[in-house]
Amino acid sequence: MRHLPLVWAAIVRKPMRAVLTLLSVTVAFTLFGLMIGLNAAFDTIAERARADRVYTWPRYGGSAPITVAHQIEAMPGIKAATGLNFLPGYVQDPKNQAFVLMVDQNAAKVFGDWVPPDQWNVVWRERTGIVMSRMQAQRWHKKVGDTFTIICKTIKRADGGTTWTFRVVTIVDDIPQIFNGFIFGNFDYIDKAKPLADQGKISEVDFLADDPANSTALAAQIDHTFANSATPMQTITEKLARSGNDFGGLDVKKITFGIALAGMFMVLFLTGNGIAESVRERFAEFATLKTIGFSDRAVTAIVVLESALPCVIGAVLGVGLAAVLARQIPKLMPPTFSMPMPTMSPAVMLWAAAAALAVAALSAALPVLRLRQMDIASALSGRA
Amino acid sequence: MLRQIWIVSALNFRSLKGRFWQSMVIVVGLGATIGVLLSMMSMTQGMRQAYFNTGDPGRAIVVSQGADSEGQSSISRAAAPIIMSAPGVAKDKDGKPLADRQLNMGLPVLRKNGTKGFTTMRGFGPQGVALRPEFHLVAGRMFQTGKRELIVGVGARTMFQQMQIGDKVILPNGQWPIVGVYTTGDILDGQLIGDTETMLTALNRTAYNSVLVRLTSQDALDTFRKALTTNPALQVTVTRHSDWYKKVSDQATGLLAVLAYVVGVVMAIGALFGCLNTMYAAVSTRAREIATLRALGYGALPVAVSVILESIVLAVAGALAGAAVAWLLNDGKTGTWGVSIFRLTVSPGLVGLGVSWAVVVALAGGLLPSIRAARRPVVEALRAA
Repeated sequence: MRHLPLVWAAIVRKPMRAVLTLLSVTVAFTLFGLMIGLNAAFDTIAERARADRVYTWPRYGGSAPITVAHQIEAMPGIKAATGLNFLPGYVQDPKNQAFVLMVDQNAAKVFGDWVPPDQWNVVWRERTGIVMSRMQAQRWHKKVGDTFTIICKTIKRADGGTTWTFRVVTIVDDIPQIFNGFIFGNFDYIDKAKPLADQGKISEVDFLADDPANSTALAAQIDHTFANSATPMQTITEKLARSGNDFGGLDVKKITFGIALAGMFMVLFLTGNGIAESVRERFAEFATLKTIGFSDRAVTAIVVLESALPCVIGAVLGVGLAAVLARQIPKLMPPTFSMPMPTMSPAVMLWAAAAALAVAALSAALPVLRLRQMDIASALSGRA
Repeated sequence: MLRQIWIVSALNFRSLKGRFWQSMVIVVGLGATIGVLLSMMSMTQGMRQAYFNTGDPGRAIVVSQGADSEGQSSISRAAAPIIMSAPGVAKDKDGKPLADRQLNMGLPVLRKNGTKGFTTMRGFGPQGVALRPEFHLVAGRMFQTGKRELIVGVGARTMFQQMQIGDKVILPNGQWPIVGVYTTGDILDGQLIGDTETMLTALNRTAYNSVLVRLTSQDALDTFRKALTTNPALQVTVTRHSDWYKKVSDQATGLLAVLAYVVGVVMAIGALFGCLNTMYAAVSTRAREIATLRALGYGALPVAVSVILESIVLAVAGALAGAAVAWLLNDGKTGTWGVSIFRLTVSPGLVGLGVSWAVVVALAGGLLPSIRAARRPVVEALRAA
């Protein structure tokens, strides 16, 4: 670190070069942060996904009789199953899409990790009660006690109405698997308000397996059991449903790392060239340093430091900028398409630090080699 | 003037060898940018191509009024014959209209990488194949009318599990065997096809999704549309098949195109700073040479133009290299996005986009340095070491 003044003097000698290099490195690391951060977000989702939770729904959409949920719950190896109904609709304007998941009381067991058990009890106490995650509460500007009204043209009430009014009874934290937050309400409220012929229908059954190792086999068993029925089911474990690389069929890891790497490659040429030029310009000066007793190690340290400075500062600025930009992404996304928010997790920072140091080291390698092998006498005379 | 530009530029390019690594910053910067941009765009391009190929200007599709997709549309059993016998519809040699009732439904599938996905299952009526000269069976046999059988597209067979001849697809009230493999060279390659009427019964549906017709000529669309929209018994929208798929393609590629452009713009900004850096350095290295030229009577403009020209040539070289890499890595591979399966394509048009992208960056990156080069007082530059 005592060489810092020397390094600093070298950098400010060509301020334009220093600034442009830093800007370019910053931009590359912004991209790096967004890409690796996106991948990290997918990884978190995959990690948090539970191996023992399984989703099953009518393979061809529409609804299944609620008996399917009862049949599944009665199967050996299943801890609890809840029948779900979706209430899709909009708030005030068709542009503002929203939906409520209507669940029965078994949801407290199946989704105990999304909403704590005592909060579920608050929901069960009130027929029109709903629990909102923070993200949804923020989106609709709701606090506990507010009413929340959804207009749904597809699910008709017995009285012909299309508006459904709820009361927010509790607000809970979000979970990373659900990008846009969630809202849960009472199954019975919707079900009993429908015309008699439409009652007792569900659009999904979610259940917990006794043994996580058994859940894949259970999923296959359910598909098989209902395959020849009027409502064949499509079953998938949460683990598989949330296994990364499930972004419209794209290999997220390959793409994000590929783009990040391309950015680093671009920067490597810039910084490598910059440091090589800087050393070439000051070749005689380095010879002087060596003459007055600077060791090879000290000279190496000076060059590496000079090459590392823009990389490290750029990485910090870039990842910081990425963190700021990432927060804007949910606002820019169309509500119908959800994409997880890139997270600047410790792993991402580690990747960024590793990339910055790798770029710095690779950039400095050749100039350092040249300085070590320099012939001091000819360098001093300017013949090298 | 042009002669001056030519001479100064030629001099520039001859000195490039001495500034090789410095110049490589621009080449690599834009190479990486355009390589990434075109790799991402090869998906949207391939998808667009597949959708465009599906739409034929000589065909028209009829959906219920205002429907944006075949899935949203519903054409009743009563309406279908009226549509099919309307004026403007071509007839086959037996005098039957070249028109087909079609069914569409989402089919959940497992991709080969184990993730879940969707594709489209289509119903073909008796004229389904006659309407589509692009349809060819490549293995097995055609499904039989009235039988619960399916044929699978070559793309779907490649991308999904359990899509070989003999495999069974779970449908409501039973499992249907796959008996053949087809190709159309368009978006249908990623789908499955069965018999419309048999599917209708099995799915407990009472209506078709759309009617596809061959027009007597491309100009017959208005006649056909007029006949349908003035008929009070029908509430339908008539669209030329090619226009329909242009719209579908825009919906399908929208998000991916936005992502590609965002990444492309961010990388371009990074490359721009690199380009500025290199060109400033180049101008300062050549300060004396430029001053000498100026002293000999060469104008400021030729000097400035030569700097921009150099930056453009380097950038275009980079863009072409990047395009070549994108082509090698992607072109011809089977890709998937959402429900679409297609061949990744790095088309000449895309390469053109990449090159123009690079030229814009080079112009921006060469402009300021070129002004500095042209403005530098001659005497001062000559004196400087």
